[in-house]
Amino acid sequence: MSDTAPILDLDCVTKRFGGLTAVSGVSLRVAAGEILGIIGPNGAGKTTLFNVISGYYRPESGRILFAGADVTGQPPHAICRLGLTRTFQLVKPFGNLSVIDNVMIGALTRLPTVSSARLEAERVVEMCGLAAHAGGHARTLPIGLRKRLEVARALATRPRLLLLDEVMAGLNPTELAGIVELIRRLHADGLTLIVIEHIMAAMMRLAQRIVVLHHGEAIAEGAPAAITQDRRVVDAYLGEEFVLAQA
Amino acid sequence: MSGLLRARRGAVVVFGLAALTPLVVRDAYFLDSLVLILLWGALSAAWNVAGGYAGQVSIGHASFFGIGAYSAALMVTRFGRGPWLGLLVGVVLSIGAGLIIGVLSNRLKGPYFALSTIAFSQVLLIGVSRWRGFTAGAEGIPVPFRSGFATLGLGHTGWVYMALSVALVCYAVEVYLERSRVGYQLAGVREDEDAAEALGIHTRKLKVGAVALSAALTSICGSLWAQYVGFVDPTYVFSVDLSVRFALNAIIGGMGTALGPFLGSILITSLETYLRATFSNWDARFAGIYLVIYGTALILVVRFVPEGLAGIAARIRMRKAHA
Ligand SMILES: Nc1ncnc2c1ncn2[C@@H]1O[C@H](COP(=O)(O)OP(=O)(O)OP(=O)(O)O)[C@@H](O)[C@H]1O
Ligand SMILES: [Mg+2]
Repeated sequence: MSDTAPILDLDCVTKRFGGLTAVSGVSLRVAAGEILGIIGPNGAGKTTLFNVISGYYRPESGRILFAGADVTGQPPHAICRLGLTRTFQLVKPFGNLSVIDNVMIGALTRLPTVSSARLEAERVVEMCGLAAHAGGHARTLPIGLRKRLEVARALATRPRLLLLDEVMAGLNPTELAGIVELIRRLHADGLTLIVIEHIMAAMMRLAQRIVVLHHGEAIAEGAPAAITQDRRVVDAYLGEEFVLAQA
Repeated sequence: MSGLLRARRGAVVVFGLAALTPLVVRDAYFLDSLVLILLWGALSAAWNVAGGYAGQVSIGHASFFGIGAYSAALMVTRFGRGPWLGLLVGVVLSIGAGLIIGVLSNRLKGPYFALSTIAFSQVLLIGVSRWRGFTAGAEGIPVPFRSGFATLGLGHTGWVYMALSVALVCYAVEVYLERSRVGYQLAGVREDEDAAEALGIHTRKLKVGAVALSAALTSICGSLWAQYVGFVDPTYVFSVDLSVRFALNAIIGGMGTALGPFLGSILITSLETYLRATFSNWDARFAGIYLVIYGTALILVVRFVPEGLAGIAARIRMRKAHA
């Protein structure tokens, strides 16, 4: 890690659902300009961690600092206005609105007028490869494009830190390459990202650092190459086949 | 401007015809129907602000109607002041009540919210019925007719233009919600609250604001209605029937469309008035016939045009554009 202050700083964050501890004492720091990957088996608490960071759940204990400000327990809209937003694993398009209106509603958060937000939305829609579908209802989009719409809408709010929750799941190889390319471009433009993904090949190409969650705990952290060699990670998540395939 | 008029052709026709009618028609019965069409349309448009645009479907909007009606009536009969002051007091009280309902909407979703709004109107019904010393209880209050604008004692023609004005105000609010920044954000809230929050939208504040605005407009219509009809009683003004009427006109006409509530009102109010006149010579057994019409119209709309009458117009336009 560099000596500059991290853009996101989680200190021992815990979130419980009744008797189940979905996120257990997780501490992590994200440097500005970084792409952090989060992996872990189903039910490990990855999405819950995003929900806590972005303000949907209040953690039972722990503290979350974003760009130096304590955002623990703040509502999502306030956190978004500070420059941190997320996409949803189960996509949540505004189904009865057009694609361009979906994105424009995101842009309105930074822009005072409908006309300026529409211009911004056109730019973002173009950048995300949705221009051909801009006028269509969001509910008519196939799943691959709905995931893109999640990203486009979030980008329109001009975040400094963007949390992507499995935006690659269910995509075909062409779509996958497209979204990896998009994320790289955003990163090159200075965006900081945390990416949850099961597709290891894509994760290896994108992330500079990976955190592994298991039963709500961060059990390992390190560079992608090192993580795939970690015994606990192989046992908990990757499995022997992965290691053999890599070799 | 001409572009706006062309885009709002339907509204120009509807409101234009309403404005011209008193110039050529003198028949009191006909003008009375027109006033009711406009008032019920305005009330459904007011309901639409919460139910259609913000997605907060209330079946308790009679609460605000009743508050407006009683504020105006009591201001005249108990305090000897003008109904306009009563209208203003009604708006303030209704915004207060709207804030309560709006906060409920943040706690309760869908059917639970709708049920709580019914409960709210029932509480008002019971309260006003019991408080005999002040409200005259279940007997109701006759509102005296005093000719003049300040006392809202108008002739039929005057009432048409009064109802048309309030209809235009409600319609303008709807149009604003379709084109403005806050209107788009409200559409996001209606479609998906979680997603709207992630985009920086203060969903709770917007919902409460929409319900309060809707309440204020409903209250204004209620005050005018009390002066027009000249009588208020709690069982009618706080009735679930009335709340359902506001919602149904909007649903039949097209929820979340600006002209829809007025189209719904034209269909339902004129059918009702016509049938009431026709069946009044018949048996008392047919007194509730308009409920059957509501039911039938609703079933037909839901089955064939789920987006409402305004949806038919949009479909025709689409077909023409493709042809
Ligand atoms: N709202 C909730 N109420 C109760 N339990 C929940 C809730 N949300 C998540 N959980 C539980 O918390 C645990 C972590 O869930 P989470 O969705 O965070 O996992 P995940 O790592 O994102 O899994 P996946 O890879 O399948 O998306 C699971 O056991 C889940 O059942
Ligand atoms: Mg998940």
